[in-house]
Amino acid sequence: MKGKRLNLWGWFWAIAAMLYFFIPMYGTLDFSLRMKKGVISLLAYETVLADPQFLASFRYSAIMGLITVTISVLIFVPTIYWIYLRLPKARPIVEIITILPFIIPVIVYVFGLIRTFSGPPFQLTLTPFKTDILITAGYIVLSMPYMFRAIDVGMRAIDVRTLTEAAQSLGSNSFQILFDVIFPNLRIAILSGALICFATVIGELILGDFLVRPALGPYMVLVGRSRAYEPAALAIISYTLTWICLGLIQFFSRGGSTQQQLTGR
Amino acid sequence: MAFLELSHIQKSFAGAVAVEDFNLSVAQGEFISFLGPSGCGKTTTLRMIAGFELPTSGQIMLSDNDLTYLPPNKRNVGMVFQSYALFPNMTVAENIGYGLKVAGKLKAEINQRVQEMLALIHLEEFGARYPARLSGGQQQRVALARALAFHPQVLLLDEPLSALDAKIRVELRHEIRRIQQQLGITTIYVTHDQEEALSLSDRIVVMSQGKIEQVGTPSEIYNFPSTEFVAKFVGQINLLPVQVIDAKKGVVRLGGQTMRAGQFGHLNGNSIRLAVRPEELNPGFVEGANNLTGKVEAITYLGSIIRISVDVEGYPIHLDVFNERKLKIPATGESYQLTFPIEACWLL
Amino acid sequence: MGFSCWTGYPTFAIRIHKEINPTEVHGSDYSRAMPSHLNMKSSSRQRRSSSAILDWIGLVPFFAFVLAFLILPSLNLFSGAFKDARGNFTLANINFLTDQYVLKAYAVSLEVSVITSLFGGVFGFLVAYAITIGNTPRWMRSILMTFSGLAANFGGVPLAFAFIATLGRTGFITAILKSICYAGASGTQVCPFNPYDHGFNLYSMYGLVLAYMYFQFPLMVLTITPALEGLKKDWREASENLGATSFQYWRDVAFPILWPSILGATMLLFGSAFGAFATAQALTGGSIYLVTILIGQQIRGDVLGNPNEGYALALGMVVVMAITITAYTILQRQTARWLKV
Repeated sequence: MKGKRLNLWGWFWAIAAMLYFFIPMYGTLDFSLRMKKGVISLLAYETVLADPQFLASFRYSAIMGLITVTISVLIFVPTIYWIYLRLPKARPIVEIITILPFIIPVIVYVFGLIRTFSGPPFQLTLTPFKTDILITAGYIVLSMPYMFRAIDVGMRAIDVRTLTEAAQSLGSNSFQILFDVIFPNLRIAILSGALICFATVIGELILGDFLVRPALGPYMVLVGRSRAYEPAALAIISYTLTWICLGLIQFFSRGGSTQQQLTGR
Repeated sequence: MAFLELSHIQKSFAGAVAVEDFNLSVAQGEFISFLGPSGCGKTTTLRMIAGFELPTSGQIMLSDNDLTYLPPNKRNVGMVFQSYALFPNMTVAENIGYGLKVAGKLKAEINQRVQEMLALIHLEEFGARYPARLSGGQQQRVALARALAFHPQVLLLDEPLSALDAKIRVELRHEIRRIQQQLGITTIYVTHDQEEALSLSDRIVVMSQGKIEQVGTPSEIYNFPSTEFVAKFVGQINLLPVQVIDAKKGVVRLGGQTMRAGQFGHLNGNSIRLAVRPEELNPGFVEGANNLTGKVEAITYLGSIIRISVDVEGYPIHLDVFNERKLKIPATGESYQLTFPIEACWLL
Repeated sequence: MGFSCWTGYPTFAIRIHKEINPTEVHGSDYSRAMPSHLNMKSSSRQRRSSSAILDWIGLVPFFAFVLAFLILPSLNLFSGAFKDARGNFTLANINFLTDQYVLKAYAVSLEVSVITSLFGGVFGFLVAYAITIGNTPRWMRSILMTFSGLAANFGGVPLAFAFIATLGRTGFITAILKSICYAGASGTQVCPFNPYDHGFNLYSMYGLVLAYMYFQFPLMVLTITPALEGLKKDWREASENLGATSFQYWRDVAFPILWPSILGATMLLFGSAFGAFATAQALTGGSIYLVTILIGQQIRGDVLGNPNEGYALALGMVVVMAITITAYTILQRQTARWLKV
């Protein structure tokens, strides 16, 4: 009965939301196309893409992103698998730990991280390489909630215990199980987690800024201070990247749980 | 003028017809069941009476009020939902009293009525409990009380027992009938369970694919089904394809064996079937009745009933006999004689 | 049969097994009858006690990592808040939290967080209502949910740039508003819609609020939509059947069921705004006094001689966030219970 009536208020709020989403985006796009006076041009984009510093920082962030994803997967997948199979009672503890990065604001975490590792006994801020290790660790921690949840959901969906028992009854050893059965079935979950992780690293500002590493975030702040049109172009590029990552996630996990909640700053 | 009258109710959804030309007159205090398989339109019709669907055409009259396009909160009919739909944030008492509360009744009146209702459903001590702490059967009773508390003119029930265990179902349906008779309230009960329909109703409306197949008392529906669908849907039936020998006397032939039918309409057309219920068949031979011989195919043990499947002239006939100890069960492959009275069968 | 039989370390397992439970190895008749190297197939009682240690070993990589890079810094923060420059225990840092600058920072942070969580909460709820119960077409719902997922993740520098490009002095919307002109009384062009003429400044707290709203209301939409979908259609129909109007339904049934979820989600929004740093930094360059900005300055060593005061600030933030998240979790659980009925 309700379905028949046209709900005006519903439409109003939905349209209001669409406007709030689109106007800033459109405004940014428009702004970014006006670098050349009076003409719509891609000059801002060309300038950005031609800037060696942009390429360097993008490359840096991308590589760090990949490293973060790899290490994350290598740590989390076996860990979660282990929890499912052998130690279900560790779950609550591990879950609380993975929620911690949500509770601790990033700036606070960075503060603690720097204070802990910028002096003896664990000094990691002396050389760029060591700082890279620190920043990677930081990235892993920051993306931990999302990565963990993505893999957790994936494991739950494939009923790991039954699959393992079936494989065991057919004679596999644990390595074979992990690589022939578990990982392939978790492909989509791992991919989702990896994409979120990657998007987080690319868009991250605070760690890169305070640890003084040439990441994309600090580069963008630098550009924002001195240039007018390039920041808008950068914003569009950044937005598109995030969109692509999320779009890939949606595409690959079609039919799976679609309620992947994403938060960030 | 009937108390509740549905005239030429039609409902279509996006090209598909859900309910077609539905006509029914319900007397006050009657217990009517809508019986049929899933998708036959029974729930849709019920929801049209409640006001959650609007008919594409037709009219619904309730004691001289035209209900057809009235919003659901103005119709004064009480509905019991399949999922109970108890409000989880309210106690049992608050749930039951809600209809009166929104009508603006005074607290004292509401409390008194709630107590009455709780006594009616034998849950006097449960007023302060929340629905989550009740069993399925208890929730159903509360839903019933809630639907009755605000003095509706009609009670509607949408497969209220389908989510419950078999034993509770039987108990509860007696409860529902008892309460209905005690209050004398006109009731429409939607179900796909024929046992429910047969045991509870004053009249049954058998539906299939949006249309009414037959309206009648339980005994009419069961013993004199007017269409093949009703014959097959309600109870078990044997249908034997026969050749007509004497159309006026209703004599037919199955292979080498002849039978006479107790009822028959105009016998034309090619596919005439002889219909007889399994419980009407008996082992043995009775002079003057219909007698058949065949070979035992299978014995199925159903608890209080034993179903013997006999192959007669290539067609299966099932006969149901009570599982009495004195009964001699035949062996498979044995030759078997069965008999049934002429009045017990009819031609379709 | 547990996983232990099939792990890659059978000899290791037996050795540990025997070392940890020497008595139990001989404890049961069953094991005495069997050769000791086959003990790993003996009674499950033995396996349960010794494999407990083994089980935890598998989690070592994870715990080691987390200990080093999460627990340690957090503990450091916590303990540092109570130490002075020479490492002695003191409560002076906590006192620092009552410094007028700090209180002002907390006040501003709270103000921004409360405003954005309230407005974002209300707006987000209305949008979520629109796409669930409000009978908008399916495609609108998919678009809005997707964009909410996108926007909730879109903060920091790009968001600041986007708002500067839209509402800055030379921004897109500002330019449009400025260009709405008509002929004035004295014959000159009057363009009264320039927001900057009316005191609006993107680089103020209100500009920040506008920017925060961009990820706040989508967060609300994402969080509250499941709860709205959990509102069974039956409840609405049952209440209509009992004679309730739309208003009565919302007052007596829907809102009572939903309010823990709404409140919880609002708290989540509060926490999200309270802990935000990058957007504020990129938009205002640190000129708006938020607690997060203050901490940032502490890290850089810009302000205030005593670094341990930064710890106290950080601790204060964590306390606020912890309370927020706890409240959110408790409230969510309450609604989840009802929606399962």
